[in-house]
Amino acid sequence: MSWIREGELNLLEKISANILKAGPMPKHVAFIMDGNRRFARKKHMERQEGHMQGFNKLAETLRWCKHLNIQEVTVYAFSIENFKRTQDEVDGLMELAKQKFVKLLEERDNLEKHGVCIRVLGDLNMLPLDLQQLIAKAVVTTKAHNKCFLNVCFAYTSRYEITNAVREMAWGVEQGLIKASDVSEALLSECLYSNNSPNPDLLIRTSGEVRLSDFLLWQTSHSCLVFQSVLWPEYSFWNLCEAILQYQLNYKTIQVRLIIDTVCLLSPILETALQKVYKDISEYDVIISLGFIKQIP
Amino acid sequence: MALLYGLLWRLLLVLVHANRALVSWLRVRLRSWKGRLWERTMAALVLPSALARFPDHQKKLNHNNPDANANPVNRTASRRSRWLSDGRSLEKLPVHIGLLVAEEEPSYTDIANLVVWCMAVGISYVSVYDNHGIFRKNNSRMLEEIVKQQQDLLGVDGSKYNVEFLSNGSDKHQHHVVSCRPTVKVLSPEDGKQTIVQAAQQLCRSVENKERSSKDISVSMLDILLRESKNIPDPELVVKFGPVDSTLGFLPWHIRLTEFISLPSHRNVSYEDLLGALQQYSACQQRLGQ
Repeated sequence: MSWIREGELNLLEKISANILKAGPMPKHVAFIMDGNRRFARKKHMERQEGHMQGFNKLAETLRWCKHLNIQEVTVYAFSIENFKRTQDEVDGLMELAKQKFVKLLEERDNLEKHGVCIRVLGDLNMLPLDLQQLIAKAVVTTKAHNKCFLNVCFAYTSRYEITNAVREMAWGVEQGLIKASDVSEALLSECLYSNNSPNPDLLIRTSGEVRLSDFLLWQTSHSCLVFQSVLWPEYSFWNLCEAILQYQLNYKTIQVRLIIDTVCLLSPILETALQKVYKDISEYDVIISLGFIKQIP
Repeated sequence: MALLYGLLWRLLLVLVHANRALVSWLRVRLRSWKGRLWERTMAALVLPSALARFPDHQKKLNHNNPDANANPVNRTASRRSRWLSDGRSLEKLPVHIGLLVAEEEPSYTDIANLVVWCMAVGISYVSVYDNHGIFRKNNSRMLEEIVKQQQDLLGVDGSKYNVEFLSNGSDKHQHHVVSCRPTVKVLSPEDGKQTIVQAAQQLCRSVENKERSSKDISVSMLDILLRESKNIPDPELVVKFGPVDSTLGFLPWHIRLTEFISLPSHRNVSYEDLLGALQQYSACQQRLGQ
């Protein structure tokens, strides 16, 4: 089945979408698509069928996100830890991925029409070579598209991503491009696989588990986390609306915390800069003078 | 049209807030309505979202309060043994628990209570975090409060529960690594991303000094650097207090497999609330990728 689903929302869905859009909407949503195997067990299907249904649900969800003006979606398709599964299952998932990327390349005109840019994040050298080639083709073909972005995390864990970023910075030091003292939070963020994307505003995990499982640990430190008990292949438009509503309820609090944390992070720098001019200023003075931020309702 | 949708959205938020206020009011009332089944049924009918939380209350209400003993020494002793047996009765108990306070103006007494209960139940490592770094700034006050609550709740003979307090970067406790005393650590946002950046700087400096190659840097190397000198395991469970649905910068590296359980507030939190969270944790199944 296709990656792109056409079709409008029905009347009730349209009305609900418009009500939600009156409030702050997340621009980047991340999904941990958990529950495919439990769904297969529940419906007495093969596991592989469960994963197929999971992919279909992904395509459906992308359609909803498009109607909700959510520009960027990141999904956790395959973790490095999943290589521990039985060889049969891993092979099945690799085969599914190959089929889907072949299909994606067949649909490139449709992708261009909708302006979909596909990125695949992870330690791709762990994957079979033919899959790597398909992925490379898909990424290069859609590179220039900029209407909406789909990031597929494949052979990914956050710890590997962070370690890779540190290794890149160390390589930069080795090559004499940067000094060790240039290493900072911002530079590390730039070296992550997800450096072309803003941090996710909302992270949704299905199937009732309440953990992050090594997904975007760096990027989601101030994201709204929503854990929903529905299994991924059974995910509905209303589940998505519920998650977005929760994001909206948390919006102001998280934004305020983000601003305050950034100010606190910057205040020593501001203090040093200001001290060059005003000799007696202290960090406390800086925070108080920026205290208008505390008045954000 | 946009105006209409705007109004409808505000109405929706008001309804959700009203629902939440009603649920938390009912939760408080439910604690004293031990036998009024019909009121609970009505509440459950009216608020389907609250239904999921009431079964926990059933468990809590069945948990009798045998603190009727007049003798304070007996009371603390019976409390200690009750808490210890509660911990033993759970299928699994976290070795390291994180208490994430996502509320303004934290209450030191309540946090201290939580820390003492965690230790009494048998949890070895307790980390306390708030995203403004207030606990870290008032470290000494926090520790005083914990010692005080230890005395109040566990009695004067709390020597078994002598707590080790870790401050950031202290190496002098290294020789205590074999001790079985519970350990409390006070964390702030600096222990999160900034620590990862510092570890990265350290590795880059060693590459600069030609002590190692960039190719040598691995996940386990970074993990060892971030684990400090104490070999404290990653937190298996983080209990989050407050209405904010975010980790707010809590130890990004260490929470890869951590279960997150939310409680509405840490103010006037009860032992039963904590026990409920621990029971929920013990029911979680980790497949670890398989």
